[in-house]
Amino acid sequence: MNTETQRRTGSGTRETSIVARGLKKSYGDFEAVKGVTFEVYRGECFGFLGPNGAGKTTTMKMLYGAAVPTGGELTVAGLEITQNEREVKRRIGVVPQEDNLDNDLKVLENLLVYGRYFDLPRKVAQKKAGELLEFVQLSEKADATVEQLSGGMKRRLLIARALINDPEIVVLDEPTTGLDPQARHLVWDRLRELTSEGKTLVLTTHYMEEAAQLCDRLVIMEGGEIVTGGSPREMIEEHVSPEVLELRAAPEAIERLLTIVEANAGAVERAGETLLIYTADAGALMEKIHASGVPVENTMYRQAGLEDVFLRLTGRQLID
Amino acid sequence: MATLRIPSPRGTFRVWQRNMTIFRKYWKTLLLPNFFEPLLYLAALGLGLGAFIQRGGIEGQSYVQFIAPGLLASNAMFAASFESTFNTYVKLKIQRTYDAIVTTPVNAEDVVAGEYLWAGTRAALYGTGFLAVLTVLGLAFGEPLITSWWALLIPPALLMIGIMFSVTGTLFTSLIDRIDLFSYYFTLVVTPLFLFSGIFFPIEDFPAPVPQVAWFTPLYHAVNVCRALAVGPTPAVLVDVAWILIFTAALALLPIHLMRRRLIS
Repeated sequence: MNTETQRRTGSGTRETSIVARGLKKSYGDFEAVKGVTFEVYRGECFGFLGPNGAGKTTTMKMLYGAAVPTGGELTVAGLEITQNEREVKRRIGVVPQEDNLDNDLKVLENLLVYGRYFDLPRKVAQKKAGELLEFVQLSEKADATVEQLSGGMKRRLLIARALINDPEIVVLDEPTTGLDPQARHLVWDRLRELTSEGKTLVLTTHYMEEAAQLCDRLVIMEGGEIVTGGSPREMIEEHVSPEVLELRAAPEAIERLLTIVEANAGAVERAGETLLIYTADAGALMEKIHASGVPVENTMYRQAGLEDVFLRLTGRQLID
Repeated sequence: MATLRIPSPRGTFRVWQRNMTIFRKYWKTLLLPNFFEPLLYLAALGLGLGAFIQRGGIEGQSYVQFIAPGLLASNAMFAASFESTFNTYVKLKIQRTYDAIVTTPVNAEDVVAGEYLWAGTRAALYGTGFLAVLTVLGLAFGEPLITSWWALLIPPALLMIGIMFSVTGTLFTSLIDRIDLFSYYFTLVVTPLFLFSGIFFPIEDFPAPVPQVAWFTPLYHAVNVCRALAVGPTPAVLVDVAWILIFTAALALLPIHLMRRRLIS
């Protein structure tokens, strides 16, 4: 998949930030990650899209040393991870899925104490912490306790904390899960600014919109494996037709519709009483359906997205 | 996987420093309970029960003089035990503080070693305050409780004792996954040690095998050390110190290994 992606994006000579080859992680008999191979280029935003339990978090944990691979190779920031645990951790920032801010410390103190773990001199940490609170729009909350912060604020503080050591790579595990749309947009905004500053971002998400918004390239994971990868546009072009027709109909009508549609469209997915039809010409197909006289309750026409790619490849929807 | 991890002094210090930062903010409220508890024992047992015990009853000392140094040792045990059980568990499982720390250049083994050092520090800090109170009370009531300049070595001794009990407490914490199981540790380990380590009566007078069993338990030696330093030691105290150091060193890496397995999968 890698060489293919490189060729297609024409970026085979780009500098890599992370290289994983046949990376595996098992817990007893359970294989959480079944030998994944990917490369993250320096300065890009690279996404792992997939449903819960796909192995995204385990893959992230291997990147920052919280899980030890049981097979394969992993190089982060040019260093083989198991031999250079501390040095790798010095160069990356981590935004975990669960909030693990230090509740015994105030907002600003969280950043200062965290800075000490990286041996930042006091003055440097003070200056950096002030800038970062500004960056995530929490300056006014510097002396608040962690409990006083909303979910979105906590997430922004986690992002600020991950940046205290000025990392070259930032790993974010579901950075916006559980946030309301406004808070989510604010986080996206900050993350875009980070990539524009040249940082390498690696993130997981099960929101296809998030992946489409933020990621230069991404892979789709399912059951511990990478199903496909590329830029969002490439993936849509490669795996689904550009237009999607969603039809809702009664169960007996669905069967009849299927026979008409299958003869005339690129691909069809059935999800309950809804048919997702991938076609290059939705208008022509719609006319055929009308001509057949099969009753359709609801029709929606839209552009294909990553969700459709996922559905095409796995037969499942991203969020159950 | 099973390679032995040795903590780095730098990482250990950073974890200790985190706890110290928090302690400095709340030290007044944190200090008080640990301070009152031994005073209550001293008043109830030393003065109350002591009144029934003939003067000069135990090794030529009044009862309150006899128990006071032992309470210094048990105070250190309690301080380090709470730190390494409930407080450590909260940081491990509830607040997930350690998860955040181990993504930095501070490793899991540093976290545990930093907590050992911190629990010892806390025991020494509390004990030093308590030692000062004992000294002043003794002088004020004309019945000196601390009679030797060797008592200046009690704070470092309490640091050592605190680290020892932090290792045993952390060992228990590393094995459990429910916070209410700590009642087993306190009921079956800490309380028996408190009662049968020679704080309230000389354990040597018990029939065999009680004194022999006591010799193999940690608080017994801690009490011996504190009592010796309070009244002036004999060379025999070196055996107790050696016992504590060997016990601590022999056990210290086991909780580090087990805690690392809980933090790094």
